Amino acid sequence: MPFTSPLALLGLLFIPAVIAMYLLKLRRDEAVVPSTLLWNRLLTDVEANAPWQKLRRSLLLLLQLLLVVILALLAARPFVERPAGLARDLVLVVDTSASMGATDIVPDRLTAAKAVAIEALRDLPTGGKVSVIAADSSARIVVNGSADLGRVRQAIEGITVSPTRGDLGDALELASKLAARSGDAQVLVATDAALSDPPTGKVSAPVKVLQVGRDRKNQAIVALAVRVAPSGVTRSVFVSVANLDVESASRRLEVWGADRLIEVRDVFLDAQARTDIIIDDVPDDVGAIEVRLTGVDAALATPPDQLAVDDRAWAIIPPTRTRLILVVGEGDPYLETALSYLPDAELYGVTPKDYGPASQRTDGRPWDLIIFEDYLPATLPEVPILAIDPPRTSPLGEVAGTLRNPGIATLDPDEPILRYVDLSTTHIAEAARLTTPDWARTIIPGPKGAPLLYAGTRDGLATAVLAFEPRQSDLPLQVAFPILIANLTGELMGGSTAPTEAVEPGTPVQLIIPAGASGLTVTAPDGSVTEFVRASSTDAAVTFAGATQPGIYTVTPVVTASPTPAPSGSGSPSASPSATPGASGSPPPDDPYAPVRFAVDLFDIGESSIAPGSAAAIEALGTTTGASPSPGSGSGSGGGVTERPTTRDELWIPIVLLVLVVLTAEWALYHRDGVARIRRGLATRLGRGERGTA
Amino acid sequence: MTERPGLDTGASPPPAIAAAGGRPVFLPSEVDPTVFDEAFLRQLERLLLLMRSPARGGLKGGRRSVKRGQSVEFADYRDYSMGDDLRQLDWNVYARLEKLFVKLFVEEEDVTVTLLIDASASMATGTPEKLLFAKRAAAALGYIGLASEDRVAVSVLAGRMARRRSAMRGSGRVFRLLADLSSISVTDGPTDLVAAARHAAAQLSGRGVLILLSDLLDPAADKVIRELAATGSELIVLHILSPDELDPPLEGDLRLVDTETGEQVDVTVDLATLDAYKARLTDWKAGFADLAAKRRASYVDLPSDVNLAELMFAELRRRRVLG
Repeated sequence: MPFTSPLALLGLLFIPAVIAMYLLKLRRDEAVVPSTLLWNRLLTDVEANAPWQKLRRSLLLLLQLLLVVILALLAARPFVERPAGLARDLVLVVDTSASMGATDIVPDRLTAAKAVAIEALRDLPTGGKVSVIAADSSARIVVNGSADLGRVRQAIEGITVSPTRGDLGDALELASKLAARSGDAQVLVATDAALSDPPTGKVSAPVKVLQVGRDRKNQAIVALAVRVAPSGVTRSVFVSVANLDVESASRRLEVWGADRLIEVRDVFLDAQARTDIIIDDVPDDVGAIEVRLTGVDAALATPPDQLAVDDRAWAIIPPTRTRLILVVGEGDPYLETALSYLPDAELYGVTPKDYGPASQRTDGRPWDLIIFEDYLPATLPEVPILAIDPPRTSPLGEVAGTLRNPGIATLDPDEPILRYVDLSTTHIAEAARLTTPDWARTIIPGPKGAPLLYAGTRDGLATAVLAFEPRQSDLPLQVAFPILIANLTGELMGGSTAPTEAVEPGTPVQLIIPAGASGLTVTAPDGSVTEFVRASSTDAAVTFAGATQPGIYTVTPVVTASPTPAPSGSGSPSASPSATPGASGSPPPDDPYAPVRFAVDLFDIGESSIAPGSAAAIEALGTTTGASPSPGSGSGSGGGVTERPTTRDELWIPIVLLVLVVLTAEWALYHRDGVARIRRGLATRLGRGERGTA
Repeated sequence: MTERPGLDTGASPPPAIAAAGGRPVFLPSEVDPTVFDEAFLRQLERLLLLMRSPARGGLKGGRRSVKRGQSVEFADYRDYSMGDDLRQLDWNVYARLEKLFVKLFVEEEDVTVTLLIDASASMATGTPEKLLFAKRAAAALGYIGLASEDRVAVSVLAGRMARRRSAMRGSGRVFRLLADLSSISVTDGPTDLVAAARHAAAQLSGRGVLILLSDLLDPAADKVIRELAATGSELIVLHILSPDELDPPLEGDLRLVDTETGEQVDVTVDLATLDAYKARLTDWKAGFADLAAKRRASYVDLPSDVNLAELMFAELRRRRVLG
């Protein structure tokens, strides 16, 4: 039997010491007795049984000698060798994406994957090295080429689930590069293979998948948006729930805001289908909402599905703010009346000849909307524009003449700008003949494809063009007119019709440091605070990469000096943190130093689909040549000349058990009288008890 | 039957314990106060030492004799001969048979009760001390003898000799008996129990009752029983062992030192050893019991912590030593 530390066998030298201690004369305590008569006779009897007595007395010695031998063996660390099942250089990829938090395996898939991975390390050849990669939204090297298996196990144990979309392709690419360093490498992937985007890149080493997961029962919130009605008066919550199970399910949808329950809906979810729920009339005093997908029976302790991270979602409701509208024209009382009905709007007017630099606001705040009435300046301002009856062709669109008594074509009933707008009795006397540009959609179609109203986003600016003056029609006399104006200006004045989109977990968020602030603090949903300090006066933004937890993050500017609003300069005079494109936070408030919030949500139907995928597809990405002789992976040896590596199984567990057995036997032998006395005492006591009962 | 004198002098018994010194007021100063109290003495007066066969004594006493004499218990008839006491003639028989017969009655005589007390060093051990228990038991038995109008003698076995005190008779000598017992103390050094018993046997005159109180911790203790049984006296062996000897509180590797001889024995005491010791002890006592039965002697093994009243009124009566 080979030993890892054969020098430890020197511990066998303790055997003579133990024997010597037994050979030394025993020091006895003296006890005075009335007579040794009976004891002498007793010793005579004992000597008659001398062989057995000697054996019994020496049993303790034998046990102690056996203990010395076993302990010496234990210190010498004996082992047995067997063929290793893995290559010498192992790259272990642990999928930590959100789906690995599924609880179809107790306690969850990641824990099971880590256990499987640690168990697989037993097949690592002696002296083999392990690299560990945690794969969530990006690949992260946890251990790089370590032969210290204890450290590797500890690192694997420390890996946690990341509530983000997994990118196994990135991790496999990194693993491939790590494996390329060695001629005998192998990639182990501990994953549930529930991938929305299966990796396609080839790996320069054999790949073996340690698959976990077996079920797919999950319902998820895959979209959440808060929409302020185009009128700016009401708010609606749009929730999309997907049932990714193969069976239908009933769930309860709870909408919370400002720590109170706003709405509860019981929803029936068909299998493999999405269900959209719209909840109107959300109170305007609620700054953020949380939507929870719970079980119908709240009394049940068991979770309604197997993935909890996608059962909650958050959204920020844009705060109400005063919007500034400038009307450039000779003045249309119908239009001005309709605009005056808009809530939270301040209306300003200027004639075309007075329009120019002088019409800019003195407080530096830009106009939220400029309405050009039968007039267009030479240079269009960088703000949302509503052009009414544009006199000429411009970047807003081509004007190709005049339409007389144009009729209104079929309207799109789902068009939000036309919500509650009835144009069936509207007559138009004269309108400009327009052509819908590429950046716009037709809202009110006219004759022969000529739009009467179109809207869209032009160079990032909301823009709409109305082909006719209201007073050239009977529209101002109808109820539809103020509604149409409210819907139209609501769409144009920023974010009202666009849903408040959430930030994907793990996505870097760009936060703008307002002028006059020395930095920012970001408070995560768990209460942890991250501080950013403006490095130089030219730094206008910082990038926050810690938005990994789903929930609401609060960004608070740090003001050290007396805030003085910048009259001009930066494009955004308000201190609003803006996320990267596609990840918008709450719109900038009036107070540039007021805290702003943004929500981080998973909203990834790919991660919510927890059905285990195909391990073979991942294994097929690996090579089958030039790799390790891994018997389990099915890959062969490339050259056939590589010596088959072996691994060692140390035998310390049976030896420790043997030590315990011997120690127990020695203890029992040494204290056998005490044990026997206890047994007799109990027997006597029980006997008395039985007699007493009788 | 002769009235037995009591120790009390009035209708109401004196208090057993004096108020000040803790000594019973009826005890003389030379008597060990731990031996008796008065109530116990009164209970002892109702007991009698039983003998397997009537013994021939000297003086008239309270015990049946092999002789025919004068008492109230009829024994037999015999033909009248000259010189016989005419008062003993049975005139009723003469009336019917016209022959003179003399009525014979059982003669009641005294016997000598000899208390042989082992005063070897081993008797000074145990809790309570075996010698103290022996003295108390001897006092009780001696008082029974005195109350039965027997002669009572105390003989102390120590060394190779028996120191016999002069015999006494009558209940009035109880304090002397107690004083004699109180003066007994253990003898240092080894005791040859056989030689001492042989010496005691030689000091006996006639048959009587021999009561041996000893722990018999002597290699030739069986010879002691043989020697004493061979005297023809009624032998009662009270084998006294302390609780520590019956169940030694020993454990571990010990060197046992004989308190009498100083002999040392190395022994490892464990439960098995103790079990073997107890088995050996049982066999040892059984050997004495068998020997005593063969020699028509009574053998009673007693732990030294047994209650004296229980010994007198229960144990010894059950063993037919007292009646």
